[in-house]
Amino acid sequence: MSLFLAVTVGVAMGIVFGFALEKSRVFEPGIIVGQMQLRNFIMLKIFLTAVATGAVVLAILNGFGYVKLQPKAAAYGADIVGGLLLGAGISLAGACPGTTLAQVGAGYRDALFTVAGGLFGAITFSYAQPALANTFLGQNAPKLVFTSLVGVPYWTGALVLVALIIVVLVTLETWSPWTSELGNDVDGDLPGVPSPAKRPLHARPAE
Amino acid sequence: MLTRKAWSPYFAGIVIGLLQIPAFLLIETALGTSSSYVTVGGVVTSWIDPSILKIDYVARHVAATGKNWWQVALVFGIAVGAFLSMRLSGAKRHAVSPIWQRALGSPSPARRYAVAFLGGFILLLGARIADGCTSGHGLSGVAQLAVGSTVAVAAMFVGGIATAMLLLRRI
Repeated sequence: MSLFLAVTVGVAMGIVFGFALEKSRVFEPGIIVGQMQLRNFIMLKIFLTAVATGAVVLAILNGFGYVKLQPKAAAYGADIVGGLLLGAGISLAGACPGTTLAQVGAGYRDALFTVAGGLFGAITFSYAQPALANTFLGQNAPKLVFTSLVGVPYWTGALVLVALIIVVLVTLETWSPWTSELGNDVDGDLPGVPSPAKRPLHARPAE
Repeated sequence: MLTRKAWSPYFAGIVIGLLQIPAFLLIETALGTSSSYVTVGGVVTSWIDPSILKIDYVARHVAATGKNWWQVALVFGIAVGAFLSMRLSGAKRHAVSPIWQRALGSPSPARRYAVAFLGGFILLLGARIADGCTSGHGLSGVAQLAVGSTVAVAAMFVGGIATAMLLLRRI
């Protein structure tokens, strides 16, 4: 595929992705921080639904031999250290690397600082990468998939994952319906928290 | 539908999951976003320090391949899509989400911008060390039953929950 076509496909897919992130409100700092403080589960619901949908799609495409799987290396040191940092960053930024772009599009000004910090972080890693590559933070590891470890076809494991996710989602939704997690201004800012600080930052007098 | 302010998380999740079809069939890759920061960061840095392109990792990310620039186009499209969606529904946002005043214990936008920059830095440093983010390891890796991605996602939630509970105030 030509570069031009790949970029066109990318923009079109991104617009759909950005639309779904905005409409689902999962790009909201209130939803993301709320998830990490275990008081709002919209993020987990979308995440697990998207994972299950992806698993059904891949069970079909891979099961019938149309596509190869693209798993990443099982580099445990890098996965654990990187994952912990990534998670800390998600809470402080109130965003993931993708959702922060949706925040920019929807008009959150602080997201511009998240993107700038993110570029700076990626550049810093780029300079450090040659030194890290041969340490425990390197990516030199086999690409392991659970189903090949057990010795069954991918699609069977994918369907087991989908079944598990459905059970978790039904339980979550029964316990905490999504409509109760949106907040007054669909930003995950839930009522009932006694605080004088409900007004937006820019509406307050300058200090 | 397009003018609604909020969709069910299950409908939105299905839409996002279906994006794996064009990703795998047309680009032969899985959905992901964090590599694009290396591509854009590498190009911008090369204007000041051309020697960064001698790092093989950077050279691989800035190369004119469909996969690299597809992902840059994807994250650009995310901003466009969110903007269009917000305009259609009229769900305008404040400059800073009202939750930050409680989470940070301060109404100062300057403090929020500093925390956002620091958060973004750690976010991408971590994502690049782990070789993937919430999309690449999370959506795509877990769906593919990848062992490393499952470990990375578990670590991500541990780091996120610990930080939100210990460093941020209750929102």
